[in-house]
Amino acid sequence: MSELLEVKHLSVSFDTLQGEVEAVRDVSFSLRAGEILAVVGESGCGKSVMCKSLMKLLPGNAKIKAGSICVNGVDITSYKEKEMQKLRGKLFSMVFQDPMTSLNPTMTIGAQIAEAVLIHQPKMPPVEVKRRVLELMELVGIEQAEERANLYPWNFSGGMRQRSVLAIALASDPDILIADEPTTSLDVTIQAQILDLLREIQKKLGTATILVSHDLGVVARCADRVAVMYAGKIIETGKTEEVYYDPKHPYTWGLLRSLPALSRGKNRLYTLPGMPPSLIHPPKGDAFACRNAYALAIDYEEEPPMFRVTDSHYAATWLLDERAADVREQISEAMRSSDTEAALPCLLQKAQTGSVETGQFAGDMTGKKTESNGNSETGPKAEILLDVQHLSHVFPLTKKHVIRAVDDVSFQIRRGEILGLVGESGSGKSTVARCIMNICQPYSGKILYRGINVCDRGQFRQNRKMLQTDRQLIFQDSGSSLNQRMKVEEIILEPLKVGHIKPMHGSYRDEALFQMKAVGLEEQCLNRYPSELSGGQRQRVAIARALITEPGLLVADEPIASLDVSIQAQIVNLFRHLQEEHGFSFLFIAHDLAMVEFLCDRVGVMYHGRLVELAPCRELYENPLHPYTKELLAAIPVPDPLRERARKATQFGKDAYMGGGKMEEVLPGHYVEISQ
Amino acid sequence: MKKNKVQYIGKKVLIFVISVFLLSLITFYISRLAPGDPLVSYYGDRVEKMSPQERERAEERLGLHEPVSVQYVKWLKQAVRGDFGISYKYKKDVLEVIGGRVGNTLVLGGIGFVLIFVLALLLGVLCAWYEDSRLDRVICKVGTVLSCIPEFWLSLLLLLIFAVELRWLPGSGAYTVGKSDDILDRIWHLILPVSIVVLNHLWYYAYMIRNKLLEEVRADYVLLARSKGADKKRILFRYCLRNIIPSYLSIMAISVPHVLGGTYIIETVFSYPGIGTLSYESARYKDYNLLMVLCILSGIVVILCNMVAQAVNEQIDPRIRATEIMQETEETKR
Repeated sequence: MSELLEVKHLSVSFDTLQGEVEAVRDVSFSLRAGEILAVVGESGCGKSVMCKSLMKLLPGNAKIKAGSICVNGVDITSYKEKEMQKLRGKLFSMVFQDPMTSLNPTMTIGAQIAEAVLIHQPKMPPVEVKRRVLELMELVGIEQAEERANLYPWNFSGGMRQRSVLAIALASDPDILIADEPTTSLDVTIQAQILDLLREIQKKLGTATILVSHDLGVVARCADRVAVMYAGKIIETGKTEEVYYDPKHPYTWGLLRSLPALSRGKNRLYTLPGMPPSLIHPPKGDAFACRNAYALAIDYEEEPPMFRVTDSHYAATWLLDERAADVREQISEAMRSSDTEAALPCLLQKAQTGSVETGQFAGDMTGKKTESNGNSETGPKAEILLDVQHLSHVFPLTKKHVIRAVDDVSFQIRRGEILGLVGESGSGKSTVARCIMNICQPYSGKILYRGINVCDRGQFRQNRKMLQTDRQLIFQDSGSSLNQRMKVEEIILEPLKVGHIKPMHGSYRDEALFQMKAVGLEEQCLNRYPSELSGGQRQRVAIARALITEPGLLVADEPIASLDVSIQAQIVNLFRHLQEEHGFSFLFIAHDLAMVEFLCDRVGVMYHGRLVELAPCRELYENPLHPYTKELLAAIPVPDPLRERARKATQFGKDAYMGGGKMEEVLPGHYVEISQ
Repeated sequence: MKKNKVQYIGKKVLIFVISVFLLSLITFYISRLAPGDPLVSYYGDRVEKMSPQERERAEERLGLHEPVSVQYVKWLKQAVRGDFGISYKYKKDVLEVIGGRVGNTLVLGGIGFVLIFVLALLLGVLCAWYEDSRLDRVICKVGTVLSCIPEFWLSLLLLLIFAVELRWLPGSGAYTVGKSDDILDRIWHLILPVSIVVLNHLWYYAYMIRNKLLEEVRADYVLLARSKGADKKRILFRYCLRNIIPSYLSIMAISVPHVLGGTYIIETVFSYPGIGTLSYESARYKDYNLLMVLCILSGIVVILCNMVAQAVNEQIDPRIRATEIMQETEETKR
């Protein structure tokens, strides 16, 4: 196999008001024809910038400082815009993260694909173009292509849009396809389909692919080789098996360990402490040193070179230096003896993987659930805090047509209980949360909170203050749910001031400081604005804001969906810790089952507005009964390339789902919808 | 589907009628609250020599002796029948007076408006194309300064320079006396007023186009278009411009009254025989009947333009169209 793309010592930086941001620092890698290279790392590590710099799609304030990009042996580093235009689409093309915004809203899908075809073959006759468009649409798995070509992007679902984007990217048979987080904003079940599609296309057309993701679990399925990026550098690269089964860099360990699939059966998720460093003045030495539990003294002083592990496997960590041999020994010793053993990716041996089934991990589940069950205050005998009875909500489209967003949903939350609500987008989870929080008025059904019917206007008015301070909501995107013009301190204290509540810990400022500490934020953050914080920090602010009134019920609407996997783990652990401390009841909404396990006592699965399964957490994972639950469970990506590849994406037949079934208690506490 | 449309239009018409009614009511009262003597415009200087009895009789003849509410009801009854009374000053039917002038204003406003529309588009695209270059910056800055200068001051300045000092262009009127049929002469007279209308309003819209274009250029779908290999021309014209045109149209529709207000002032400065000068005079001389019709006429234009803008906006909003399409597919399924 020949080297199709060769990048040598590439450095890209941005000029900003704060100073020069060194987004990509001295990156070298190569891509062979027909292989899939996965680039993995947390957000802010320069993955996207690197991809865009390959195609010169960077904004004006960015520049390639050093290094070279060679394609087929031709150096394109100095190519101007005009020359690049000829290469784009034909030599390489790109798929972007958010299919909702990356299609032109005013052109039909067919026209957009046709345009991509025509740009490089302007003389193609219209009949030919049409045939090619339909061919492309079929290639990416869009059925009824002929009719759908005349639809606009907003007629398409997220998965379909991403398929269309892929069709556009493939229009001129590019040699290299760059997919920048193509599945991050999609549902888990759709994510698996898109990944399979990428793999299939790569096999069919032989297109070399660069797949960017922040989730090692996702890329295990289809990557041939993996490069791990941190702070603008590639710190480990190798064949997929080498990186997953024998990772050398502590950062790769951390990334792998923070994946929920590997922590199955543990009390707590492993988390990678801290966040990637700012790239304005990258730290001296190994940028990962300050987050690395195994950092050596030299890590703070000198940057490690790339050490060779095998011919294809390289890693930049001083641990691989000859002089650190004894340290290596100690670490592996410590890992072997510690109880985190099973979670360690290095020990996830190939031999073990052949016959593993989903239920296997459940065996060594520790007594997390028994612990909470034994506690009489929060156990099943505790008082029912929230009782949702036959809740339905419809959104009228026109006078005749309605969407049943929530359809006859009933569940209860007891004091101190954590209930997870899981389902794909559009399944009505958020509407349930909104109804509970009185943002929506339900169409029918009852919501009783501490025995008060919150949907009844009279009862609501009588207990308004209690209801408003005792129930708190956390939103998905704290970037837009926090007021950009308010300082963090004001945001946190606002619920107290609005509710005229006296702070419990001295002055308002003391209270704010206390809450900041409780959610793990530093004191300096109080005087900052939300836009100056990272996504994880903003979510912490949102949590502090919600907890300041000591609520009895906390509702979190996909609080971790927009975060990196490693940050997700941090937030989930924080939730668990805070819940143990405060004892509030918690409705946790998520779109996949991966993280829910580590937090919830019971889990409800929603599908098309209906609650299809409700069971204690452990029971649900061990013994899923509804086909949709099974599909969701199967879709959790596992960072194990061999197993992932062997697995087929099961598709729950949406047409087969009739709805209108009845919830029945199959096992104690385990309810399943059984269609009649 | 059809029924919905009838309902929709019916609703709009109802809103329109109510707005015009309220407008007439308010203008009627407010114009009579202002100080001044309507008799002056009818009888001229003779009013000063009138005895109180004569005055009373004169007021009775013009229907001004009754309480305002009774006057309004009477006026409304006649107006519905199409009789808007006579102008006190011109002693002619109001519609006749206006009819002679409305063409002049339409020509001035129309030409100005079309020029603004086209030039703003061109300037906006030019600025967006050469974003952040010297050209872009100069245009933006000159525009900011010019749009801040009040139009009456700008007109006086240009009058002084081009009409008084240089004597290149005529300073007042719509045509040279005796040459009212000469089109070239009319155009000659239009140059100064039109250029002031354009100079004053152009920048705001050009700047808006520029910013909207640049906003679009930064959208994700442009990145995809670029990664397809599309060039700058295609992206700017086929993607961005096309996508902002609907919102531009709706904003221009709202801007009609704005530009209209501007022409009124300019007409007064240039003593251009149009609706603007007429309104000014009628307000000054308490020519109630004329004032009412002019106000309602302007009001109708404003309301209509806003309605057009709203309709355009509703058409752009894909959610409305989405429901229609869903309905259609449902129907075809059946």
